Amino acid sequence: MIELRNIAKNYNGTTALQEVNLKVAAGEIFGLLGPNGAGKTTAIKILTGQLKPDAGQAYIYEKNIQSHREDLLSKMGIVPENTNLYERLTILENLKFYCRLYNQDYSLIDRYLKLVDLQDFKSRAVKKLSRGMKQKVLLIRALLHEPDILFLDEPTSGLDPGSAAVIHKILQQLNEKGITILLTSHNMEEVDKLCHRVAFLHQGRLVEEGTPQKLKLQYSSSDIKIVYREEGQVKEKIFDMTQRDRLAQKLSLLITQERLLAIHSQEPSLADIFVTITGKELT
Amino acid sequence: MKKFKRILAIVLKELQDIKKNPNILIMYALPVFLTFLWHNILPVMEETVALSFGLLFLVVMVGMYVPSIMIAEEKEKNTMEVLLLSPATPLEVIIGKGLLTFLSIIMVALLLIFITGNQDGALFLIILATALTVIFAIMVGMIVGLVAKDQRSTGIIGMPVYLLLLIIPQTAGLEQGVLQRLAYLLPTYHYLLLLEKTLTAEITTALYLTGLGFILFSSLVILALLLYCYQRRGLT
Repeated sequence: MIELRNIAKNYNGTTALQEVNLKVAAGEIFGLLGPNGAGKTTAIKILTGQLKPDAGQAYIYEKNIQSHREDLLSKMGIVPENTNLYERLTILENLKFYCRLYNQDYSLIDRYLKLVDLQDFKSRAVKKLSRGMKQKVLLIRALLHEPDILFLDEPTSGLDPGSAAVIHKILQQLNEKGITILLTSHNMEEVDKLCHRVAFLHQGRLVEEGTPQKLKLQYSSSDIKIVYREEGQVKEKIFDMTQRDRLAQKLSLLITQERLLAIHSQEPSLADIFVTITGKELT
Repeated sequence: MKKFKRILAIVLKELQDIKKNPNILIMYALPVFLTFLWHNILPVMEETVALSFGLLFLVVMVGMYVPSIMIAEEKEKNTMEVLLLSPATPLEVIIGKGLLTFLSIIMVALLLIFITGNQDGALFLIILATALTVIFAIMVGMIVGLVAKDQRSTGIIGMPVYLLLLIIPQTAGLEQGVLQRLAYLLPTYHYLLLLEKTLTAEITTALYLTGLGFILFSSLVILALLLYCYQRRGLT
């Protein structure tokens, strides 16, 4: 449904993307991850036809975005990183304006305002809204023309955990209704929770791709940590899972003696995996 | 039909926005205030001067300032980016912004005429000349908006142009040399001349058509420049 083929893009001699290949299937929530400057926004701008790649092609529904831009834009909803709403206008005036541009009636506005719990604020000027509220308005604006695909550039950047959780819930609901979602983020927890598949971008290159579960298994160690009580003290011990007999023996003993407190797998987080691959933190 | 609806949507949005933008409202209020002042409080001025200077100020300052600010603000706040991801084309965006400026200026021009009294048969001639000059001014303002990075730089880029088009025509009569030759090249000089001659009933058909022709020619030159700037810089 969404595809990047051998994409390269440079800005004044600085490489933003190089040889990026990516496929997103219909109905997926796909996370494009990477630190600031990794090329995530450039990838979204190429997919939405705002930027022309220096090499390669971007496809939506197997149509080249550059040659079918007008047609394809009607199928996309875009939530940019900047809160680019008309600040002096109210929420309702902003949303009605976009309904008029898309030749849609206003009925969807109330439905979505209710969904994000903003119906009591619809007559408030955007400049008086919190960052979280503005983000919700941006999301509604992107949905007014009922798109099949939603592109979100850092949708929860700068939001408090409560507002971010509301956005996550809405995105999951939209995905359940069949909307394909591609989001960029440097928040690994968010991506782990939301995305069916993820890809890591580092210095303009796609360095890893897969489901969060697959990546965690791929990069996990075979160690497990056992927490137990011994002589009145809490102790920890790392076991190699390949030494099954030794592990089974120890566990059996601890369980029988009611001394076992916890067992932790040494599964890495997506952030750990990113550090393993690139040697750099996700900041 | 869809194109027309989108242009109308942009006009309506700009109207809602202007009503809440004190910077732009002041620009609209200034010519009204000045015309009222010149007409009522400074009776030593010739009767026609209040209206012709008021209209010139309205056409030049508002006609150029408003579209330049509209475009520069959308660029500065990244709203233009989203607007151009909607079905609205750049041409529709430009027409929508220009149309609102045009209509609002014509309405304020009628208000100025109302303030200064009945112009008898001259009303049509004044409005026609004003309409043509407003189109010229809006296109100049749009060029400034396209070239400027943000709202602040519209002032830096635009102010010398605005002052040239506003002050030179008014001072041209003081000197017969370079200033007058320079003024003759400016459509605002011909506009002011048309207004003064029309208001004093000294206008002839030939003079009126020559003046209109010059304003029209200037508008075509500016249109070409606007298209060039758009090709080079785009709306974002």
